Amino acid sequence: MSLPEWVEPVARYMATEGLKGTARIAAFSLVGSLLIGMTLGTLLTIRFAPSRALIRSYIEVWRGLPILVTLFVVYLGLPSFGVRFDPFTSASIALTLWGSAQVAEATRGAVQSIPREQHEAASALGFGWVGRHAFVILPQAYRRLIPPLVGLLVNILQNTTIAQIIGATELLESGEQSYERLTSPPPVGPGEIHALEIYLGVAAVFFVLSFPLTRLAGYLERRLV
Amino acid sequence: MIVAAWDWSYFRTNGPELAEGLLRTLEVSALAVVGAFFIGAVLGAARAHRIPVVSQLAAVYVEVIRNTPILVQIFIFYFGLPQVGIRLSAFTVALVAVTVWGGAFNIENFRAGFEAVPYRFREAGLALGFGRMSTFLNVTLPIGGRISLPSTINTSISVVKNTSLMYVIGYAELTTTALHIHNLSPRTWETLATLGVVYLALVWSLSALIRVVEARLALPEDTR
Repeated sequence: MSLPEWVEPVARYMATEGLKGTARIAAFSLVGSLLIGMTLGTLLTIRFAPSRALIRSYIEVWRGLPILVTLFVVYLGLPSFGVRFDPFTSASIALTLWGSAQVAEATRGAVQSIPREQHEAASALGFGWVGRHAFVILPQAYRRLIPPLVGLLVNILQNTTIAQIIGATELLESGEQSYERLTSPPPVGPGEIHALEIYLGVAAVFFVLSFPLTRLAGYLERRLV
Repeated sequence: MIVAAWDWSYFRTNGPELAEGLLRTLEVSALAVVGAFFIGAVLGAARAHRIPVVSQLAAVYVEVIRNTPILVQIFIFYFGLPQVGIRLSAFTVALVAVTVWGGAFNIENFRAGFEAVPYRFREAGLALGFGRMSTFLNVTLPIGGRISLPSTINTSISVVKNTSLMYVIGYAELTTTALHIHNLSPRTWETLATLGVVYLALVWSLSALIRVVEARLALPEDTR
């Protein structure tokens, strides 16, 4: 039994163009979310009202908005200030805003979960505020962040699909383009409808990528508790 | 580059249409939240009590939904299913997609809540002569349900936010309505401000509800 003729080029296009686009958005958003989120989350644990209020509002706004609305803020809103990004960058920025808010909240929780005795013991050993945080508190706190961050990676991966809405060629968009091409009558395409197979295929790829990560997150959570 | 001046007449002109969109968002959200609660409680109980077959099927359902993007699920329902003769209206797809999605997350929320009910409570129920079903309804459901309430409200918040994705199938909820108006007369920041204010108001009120619920329904320490 062999696969129908249309499958091979579609699969190749989705694997090369689509998957590459998804990986690009996911990688940018993950790195951005970690850098910004861990910095903001750590700063949030410092008792200084103005910085706290600022970081709090950043977190509540970007966590509260649907990611699609954030995407439109970046993609439709910023150009009126003369700042224009292509669809890939817009999607990456929108996901970073959302992801960094998630990471910041998780980081704050992790840092504050380190018991007071650790602060006291480090002070007793002669560490100042900076040394106490750099060598004792933050290394322990960041280790506790690992399971939620694996979970975040899964969420970022799945949310990269919103880039399809503004036409960035990621996995879902590459599937949609293939479906459109196959629907066109003969000179252009075979005039066949394969929407169901293609979108189920897209779902399958996401499942294969996400499922092991979801399990890993669950495993790490049980082990680190 | 000139930023066009803020135009208040945008809200007067488009207010009624936006309100209709908001109403559809609220309608789909409310129905989906109720549906997802129901799915979560029933299948979450099956998971927690390891009811054969149902429990395994629920586990598969949870993993499939959790590990695939909801946008792809919407595409399958709306663009994929017609190929096999199943044609659903945009409203149906909107409702089914967010209900199925929220249900999967609620199964996990309720399972965790039910499993957190100490076994001795159930033993006490059985010792009082309750059957398995009435032990669940009188002991596990009220206590476990309370424990899982904050996380189920969190899932409900995500359900509300996810209704905005129905833009891709053109269902005229708030986001779709606002962007259609934007296509005809591009008042970009008026559009974004409307969406931002309304969604944040919805999401923040529900988050405040979580804090109220946590404070009001907190279980006394010794029941843990």
